Amino acid sequence: MSGPPPIKVRGLRKIFRQTTTGQSVIAIERLDLTISPREVVAIVGQTGCGKSTFFDLMIGLEAPTEGSIHIGAKSPHADFDYFRGRIATVFQQDRLLPWRSALDNARLPLELIGVPEEEQHERALSWLNRLGLAHFTNAYPHELSGGMRQRVAIARAFAVEPDILLADEAFGHLDEVTAAELRDTFLKLARECGSTAILITHQLEEAISIGDRIVVFGKSAKLLADIHVAQWSKPNYGLLREAIQSTLQSDRPDPRLKDPRTETKRKK
Amino acid sequence: MPHEELRESVPVLTFPRQTLVSLFVFAVVWEALSHLAPYLGIPPFAIPSFVRIAKSVATITPIDIIVTLARVIAALIASFLLGLAVAMAMYRSESLDKYLHPMIRLLMAVPVVSWILFAVLWFPGVEFRIGFVLVIVCGPVFLIDTLDAMHGVPRELRHMMQSFRPTTWQYFFKLMLPAIVPTIFTSWKVNISLAIRVVTIAELVGAVTGIGHQLSVAQELFSVADVFAWTLVLVALLFLLEAVVARVETRVLRWRV
Repeated sequence: MSGPPPIKVRGLRKIFRQTTTGQSVIAIERLDLTISPREVVAIVGQTGCGKSTFFDLMIGLEAPTEGSIHIGAKSPHADFDYFRGRIATVFQQDRLLPWRSALDNARLPLELIGVPEEEQHERALSWLNRLGLAHFTNAYPHELSGGMRQRVAIARAFAVEPDILLADEAFGHLDEVTAAELRDTFLKLARECGSTAILITHQLEEAISIGDRIVVFGKSAKLLADIHVAQWSKPNYGLLREAIQSTLQSDRPDPRLKDPRTETKRKK
Repeated sequence: MPHEELRESVPVLTFPRQTLVSLFVFAVVWEALSHLAPYLGIPPFAIPSFVRIAKSVATITPIDIIVTLARVIAALIASFLLGLAVAMAMYRSESLDKYLHPMIRLLMAVPVVSWILFAVLWFPGVEFRIGFVLVIVCGPVFLIDTLDAMHGVPRELRHMMQSFRPTTWQYFFKLMLPAIVPTIFTSWKVNISLAIRVVTIAELVGAVTGIGHQLSVAQELFSVADVFAWTLVLVALLFLLEAVVARVETRVLRWRV
């Protein structure tokens, strides 16, 4: 079975022109990033650092001003249709269609890629079951709790078994218990599916608990740090958190992030 | 409970006590006037009694009702499809929107009577004239309502849908159209009332069938009873069509809280 292709971001720039003032705003400045197949990457950064712009560029809804994003040999913007059913998204709000039941919401991406109706039904049902919504398949979004609605949104994203899963603050609005539960489920399903997952978050705990890698964006999505979480032992997660926090506050890479093992030894 | 909430909680198309009382008072006053008319110097035909009106109702020809109803329904369906198609095109193309919007506003400002006169002067066929007038009056209302509703679809839903890369048709039929269904129903209700009024005027000119034609005949015969009877039919028709739309609306929009 062929896995998802690698993602290569090279010299990515995104500049917006403000409609009212006509001024240019640099949202992303010369970003280079490589994401290996099946990696789970958490992107953290302060508000306004360009995380959401990066998300839109990854989806392909925005075109880069300069530079490129390639997933395998294709660009998500230039080869927009190619990625139908290959990229799926989970947003901060569930963004379910209120006139569709949970089942019909979950099968939406399958309809879009032309899966036969019976198979749509089976696959959507199976994902809803895996997300613990077996008894709520016919419920409309307004009949479900916030956590349940987000589960439907996750089922909708997984239904096409995408190569790339993009989540933008997907658990940020939920209470801590529900969020932790959903994070674990999301991670488990992403691993089972063999998808590459990119999660945008402002919560460091979430980034540390879910990511294989944590990419820290400074202002204008400048890459401040690229952390492989496996290099840090669990007892040092507190230190890692502090170092990321300090990086974000100073907008400069914290020296502790360069070699976590040295830092651990020094501490001992 | 605040006064506004109390008022909103009264269901539509029910007959609360106040409505029945006011209708009863109106009927009593009318009936009294019909008997007192000769003493008040009013010609007897001007205010017919309910017995006379009932006789007129009994002579109503169903074919005229069916013809008018068919004209209204056919024209509303054509207006809706045309309005929706143009709204979709205008939503897709900003430049088309910029060119067509002023034109549509202009069409909507033209009085119905002018359209009827244009239709009489331009087209020889009666049915085509009536259809033209109804579509030119109702079409722009559907168009503007649906276009406004499309622009009002939440950005978050549009963004979500686009992220799944639908085709243009899928985008419209799986997101835009279902999202604007509540507005479509409101627009239908407004247009039914508009069409009933417009069709009557259009049928007055040149038609040999339909309620408008019968009203014209009643006017020539100085029969207020017949005018009253046909007006009752029009009102009943309007309520019936609105009730049908309301029923379909409740069924289709059952997902709403």
